[in-house]
Amino acid sequence: MSSRTARPVVHSAAWRISLWATLAFACGTMLVFVFLHRFVADDIQRRSDAWLSGEVEVLGDVAERTPKDAVYSRVVGEVAELAGKEVPNKLLTESSANDSVFFLQTGVDGSAKLWVGAGSGEANLKAIRTTQFVSGGPTDLLVQGFEIPFRVASMRMEDGSQIYLGLSERDELRVLRSLRLRFILLWLLLVLLGFGIVFFTTRRMLSHVREITEAASRIGLFDLDARVPTTDRSDEVGHLARTLNRMLDRIENSMRQLHTITDALAHDLRSPLTAIRGKLEVSLSTMAQHDQAEQIVSAIEELDRLNDFLSKSLDVAEAKADALRLNRSQIDLDELLRSMIDLYEPSMSERGLQIVLRSAGTLTISADAALLHRMIANLFDNELKHLPAACTVIVRLDAVEDAASLVFEDDGPGFDPEVILHVFERRVKGKNSQGHGLGLAFIDAVARAHGGTATACNPRAGGAKIAVTLPIAALVEL
Amino acid sequence: MRLLLVEDELDIQSFLKRSLEEAGYQVEAAADGKTAEQFAIEGAYDILIVDLGLPDMDGIGLILKLRQLGVSAPVLILSARRSVDDRVRGLEQGGDDYLTKPFALAELLARLRNLLKRNSPPGNESTRLRVLDLELDLLRREAIRSGQILQLTSQEFVLLEYLCRNAGRVVTRSMILDKVWGMRIQPDTNVVDVHIYRLRGKVDGKGQQPLIRTLRGVGYVLKDR
Repeated sequence: MSSRTARPVVHSAAWRISLWATLAFACGTMLVFVFLHRFVADDIQRRSDAWLSGEVEVLGDVAERTPKDAVYSRVVGEVAELAGKEVPNKLLTESSANDSVFFLQTGVDGSAKLWVGAGSGEANLKAIRTTQFVSGGPTDLLVQGFEIPFRVASMRMEDGSQIYLGLSERDELRVLRSLRLRFILLWLLLVLLGFGIVFFTTRRMLSHVREITEAASRIGLFDLDARVPTTDRSDEVGHLARTLNRMLDRIENSMRQLHTITDALAHDLRSPLTAIRGKLEVSLSTMAQHDQAEQIVSAIEELDRLNDFLSKSLDVAEAKADALRLNRSQIDLDELLRSMIDLYEPSMSERGLQIVLRSAGTLTISADAALLHRMIANLFDNELKHLPAACTVIVRLDAVEDAASLVFEDDGPGFDPEVILHVFERRVKGKNSQGHGLGLAFIDAVARAHGGTATACNPRAGGAKIAVTLPIAALVEL
Repeated sequence: MRLLLVEDELDIQSFLKRSLEEAGYQVEAAADGKTAEQFAIEGAYDILIVDLGLPDMDGIGLILKLRQLGVSAPVLILSARRSVDDRVRGLEQGGDDYLTKPFALAELLARLRNLLKRNSPPGNESTRLRVLDLELDLLRREAIRSGQILQLTSQEFVLLEYLCRNAGRVVTRSMILDKVWGMRIQPDTNVVDVHIYRLRGKVDGKGQQPLIRTLRGVGYVLKDR
């Protein structure tokens, strides 16, 4: 089917369903990851805080016991440096230049007594002085010159001095960053996978629905013996297909019944009509007297009209039930209208009517030739029968989107206002109409059977207007 | 010409037999498929008329069976059905013809003639048609009567040509609509009559013998005698 490739996938229901499902799934997993991330971050923080608190206690202990002599700063400094090498979350490849840990001891006056770490420690001291330390746990400390804050634990010595152990949060953040990256990659993968799975399953499921729709639309218009494809599965779609098929069975049955009735009616009436007509013709050929011949002639004409009425009546009845059978071929409406005008023009000018064709040129449609011919003849007959002399009929033919628009407009008295709304119904005719009230119903029937429309109105400017639209292509090709 | 008529409605069968015999055919009639089959095998017929609704078998089934048995005569199918069966279309393409009931006798006869002509070897197609003092030059699309060129429109010429080709025989309005305009329609109005009236005005001049005759209730005939 051309429709399968022509329709972009983004317009399909499968796409929309997958998009929404994926969105929900993505939000859900994202939420889970955010909680997980917080949990991990808190855990890392707690571990490094525990390390800091432990180390600062050890250092305080060492500083307390080491005699305050010349070797004091060497001993404490080495212990502090040693501690810096056991930093948690540290990369193994990192250079020995350790700037992620510092140790600072300040005197009672707040001046630096001992500094172990990268640089001079001035900035660290300045930052420590401006920060209020709460006892009990490590605190964040932003040092000028460092982008990433330090986590600092402090301890007060018995001699009034204060020691500080700072650990840069750089390693902690690096661990978290790499964790986030992995999380996001994993999340993307999951979301894509989820989208793929949802999209393909819904598409598979909806493709059954589409197959059913396509089959059903074909069935309604062309052959009623076909059925929508069914699957063995007992899910909703399979159930839908089976229900549709049961419904089609019933429709086909009624349709066949209708065809049987109309065919039988036609057959049963046409056979005696044929016999009567034949006998009349035979007696006409042997008739010598003129006045009797006249009666037989009018009887034959009545018979032909009756037969035409019968055919049209049955066609209209079937079309009302959407059951008119079409035998389609390619027909050029422009050409057809021209030969129709050729046929009708003498009769029209004989009655003082003028006919004008306004056509944009060749317009080929797929239609039943016999029905279309009869329908257009009906349109012309209608004008011929109802227009007074000196009127003009304008016939317009245009292509409007994917339909052919055929408009008959005249400047006559217009439709009888009492019947204007019902002109396409059987047996509805104006007060002065001599027809059997089937002509316009037949026009509507043929238009309907082809999937088109017929409308009638009295335009403001006067006259009557009948507009017929007929789809250019048979519906199966849509 | 030997003709086999297969029709189960005896009313129709009897008037058809009589009319066909008047038209010069030797007619044998059968009312059901089985009899028809026997007749067709035993007698060599030039043409067959078969009604689709036979009591014992389908008309198309009969035709296909006869074809298998080697009966090659062309068939005119009669049907009172509303839709034309695909198999009938197939037969139509194979050289047979189809007529819907009720029909005018003139049309039936014309179709029979056509079928017989189609199946006979093609003669030399003349480029001129002559009926009494009317002459049609088909190449130059000119009609001349008594030495005078008639001023005809192209459509009028086609109409006159059709009448000339069937000179001496009745043509009905629906035959004219079918052959000249290519439409199988039955207008409620007298469109064909107006065309004939205009043509007659041009063909039958003052003081000339009228050539185009109207047979009321039947159709028209171009006189050839």
